[in-house]
Amino acid sequence: MGQFKVKRGYNLPLEGSPEGKLVVVPQPKQVAVQATDFRNLRPQMKVEPGDHVKIGSVLFTDKKQPYVKFLAPAAGKVNDVVRGDRRRILRVVIDVETSNESVEFPRYTDTQIKTLERAQVINALVEGGMWPALRQRPFSNIADLDKPPKAIFISGLDTAPLAADPNFYMKELKADFQTGVLALQRLTGGKVHLTTAPDNNDSFKEITGVEHHTITGPHPAGNISVQVYYIDRLHSGEVIWYISPFDTARIGQLLKNGRYPNETIVAITGAPIEKRHYIKTLAGAPMASFLPQNLSDNVHRILSGTILSGTHASLEGFIGFYDHTVTAIPEVLKKRFLGWMDPGFNLPSYGSTFLSSLLKNKKFVQNTDLNGDERAFVATGSYEKVMPMDILPVNLAKAVLIEDVELMEQLGILEVAPEDFALCTYICPSKIEFGEIIEHGLTLIEKEG
Amino acid sequence: MSLDQIFTKLEESLSKSPFKLIEPLVEATHTFLLTPGKATRRGPHVRDNIDLKRYMFMVIVALLPVIIMGMYNIGRQTGISDFWLAIWKGALVMMPVVIVSYAVGAFWESIFAKIRGHVINEGLLVTGILFPLTLPPTIPLWQVAIGISFGIVIGKEVFGGTGMNLLNPALTARAFLFFTYPGNMSGDSVWAAVDGFSTATPLATAAAATGNAVDALHASPLHYTLNNMFTGFIPGSMGETSTLAILIGAAILIILGIGSWRIMLATALGGFGMASLVHWLAGPTATGMLSLPPVYQLVMGGFMFGTVFMTTDPVSAAGTNTGKWIYGILIGVMAILIRTFNPAYPEGMMLAILFGNVFSPLIDHFVVQANIKRRLRRV
Repeated sequence: MGQFKVKRGYNLPLEGSPEGKLVVVPQPKQVAVQATDFRNLRPQMKVEPGDHVKIGSVLFTDKKQPYVKFLAPAAGKVNDVVRGDRRRILRVVIDVETSNESVEFPRYTDTQIKTLERAQVINALVEGGMWPALRQRPFSNIADLDKPPKAIFISGLDTAPLAADPNFYMKELKADFQTGVLALQRLTGGKVHLTTAPDNNDSFKEITGVEHHTITGPHPAGNISVQVYYIDRLHSGEVIWYISPFDTARIGQLLKNGRYPNETIVAITGAPIEKRHYIKTLAGAPMASFLPQNLSDNVHRILSGTILSGTHASLEGFIGFYDHTVTAIPEVLKKRFLGWMDPGFNLPSYGSTFLSSLLKNKKFVQNTDLNGDERAFVATGSYEKVMPMDILPVNLAKAVLIEDVELMEQLGILEVAPEDFALCTYICPSKIEFGEIIEHGLTLIEKEG
Repeated sequence: MSLDQIFTKLEESLSKSPFKLIEPLVEATHTFLLTPGKATRRGPHVRDNIDLKRYMFMVIVALLPVIIMGMYNIGRQTGISDFWLAIWKGALVMMPVVIVSYAVGAFWESIFAKIRGHVINEGLLVTGILFPLTLPPTIPLWQVAIGISFGIVIGKEVFGGTGMNLLNPALTARAFLFFTYPGNMSGDSVWAAVDGFSTATPLATAAAATGNAVDALHASPLHYTLNNMFTGFIPGSMGETSTLAILIGAAILIILGIGSWRIMLATALGGFGMASLVHWLAGPTATGMLSLPPVYQLVMGGFMFGTVFMTTDPVSAAGTNTGKWIYGILIGVMAILIRTFNPAYPEGMMLAILFGNVFSPLIDHFVVQANIKRRLRRV
């Protein structure tokens, strides 16, 4: 039990957060499971276009960790296996049928789960398709079952701009979540840490079997790296696992009902959307099945995930495996005359060089304008103010740029993920892509492994 | 045809013409007039509105009080008492220097941008104005051209361009002129834009004083009181005389979050501490520089201008927060040491900052090592 206060960070003053209302939308005609949602995944296909699948049929496995299975979230016919550059598999698209036929998995009561062996829980999660929900640090890959974690982290708050609020969408899932926690306990010899906000945590208060922590402060307080840093730091050679509260509840559903849990809740957010609320739909549902008609890919960017670290999905895209936020933002459509001289009442900025800094409570609509162009590093010294860990962002990024693996590790790259640098990238006047650089560094280390 | 289309066409046709060396200049003008309008490639999908243009523009905003006071003072030194006339006279003296500095600087930037295949960096906007402000008003324009060429080419481009340079380019340019053409950069006759007018600057007066330096300053023909030196109605380099205007600039830099308050404060503290120390060690009977009270040291010469506008250059300064304190203090201490113990250079600030620039990577190195050690200790 700990109470943590994150001081350094920044909440982007953006318009477009969702209202606390859950709407069930009509069942989508298609769903997709996307290989690109998982870091470093090389899929081994188990189905072909035309195959019939049930809910919970195996679509593909991971070539590197062959036990990791990816299951169909709907019954129907495989429409397509979409490939990208160099025939890399991007996703499997299924045409949904109404049959709702499902593969049956063993069922357990809470009392039974408490007495299960670690191997039995692992087997249940692997076969039931919930293993990919567990990820590990360092590297953010799907958890490696041969490397037991010293602890498992569940973040019950998302501090990213306009993000879905776990406390809201977990309201109805308390019992499933509790069951999921029981299963997670069997996976680690260490603790299961659950972090929430000090208030707005009704969905999590009564959960037992976890170490409760409260954390306050601006983004990135909700990021896993930051919470690990505060609660139980990652030392060299150690591994932690992390999972979202929703997926923990899905584990609970899987074990209780013996069916692959195929529903998800996402918040639809962003200024261009008028009716912003939460929706319940099938996991991997197409964006077009629930987003309003007035959006268009030329004018709007549709993201699966948040503004900071979401992926550009477009209207033809699908909800990502880990995402509970879908965001629409305006695309940049025009150049501004003498933009650098603009007094900037409508131009939000972390610093104080625009008059918008005088409007403390104003929310802004930001488009995808890079607002400048890439330049050489000019260390303006603000990066540390949005980095709550004892990490030197500029020095770490430079270590990656010169590809000095030893120095990167010494500077703590294994404690972080690209998402932790989103604010550094956001505020950078030279428009340096910190996240991309960190990702490159992590990939280098994995290769040299 | 819109402005954007005109520029795009011009850039296209230039890249195929023999004049392709000036293409970066056209591109720079294009993005000066219109924002690039580029979209983010990946997350974060929205970005802060600040870019280097805004950043550098704000430095120039912070320099405006210094520039205006500088112009007024140049006019006033020539004997004009009317405020606007003095500014006009000062502008006539200062503007040609600034224009030459920018034009020659842009020429080199364009050539290197073309050779390296990148765009012109906004750093020139600041270098091109900082350099003239460190020069005496009587500086020959051809020397300005040579100086800025040296500063840009040797001070910056040979290191790989903006962001890679070890030294502050504007100061490198000034140092080059100082050692190459000392007759135009120092002495008693260069400080007022009037032919045949000769006067020792406060620093020279204090250094030459055979008795108490404060008495010598007060007795000088231009009456160098602390008050006069603070407001800046004294002969000196075009932008460095008015501590008042410089402090207004410092306030702007700090409020906007552009200049590092850590570096400014550390440099001022280092200077004040060292000046206090030498003053105290020298005792009440000291003469010359040693007899100067510490506050005098801070308002005289280029100390404040260097502290606020030169040490804070984000590229050549230390980058880590702890490093900034060490870097600033080092510069403050060095500046006073050079002033008091090296009679050949009564102005120690320029050399002290260049010295600090050279050491800043080493300072950062130690701060980074300390971070690594903290992490290792946890294992």
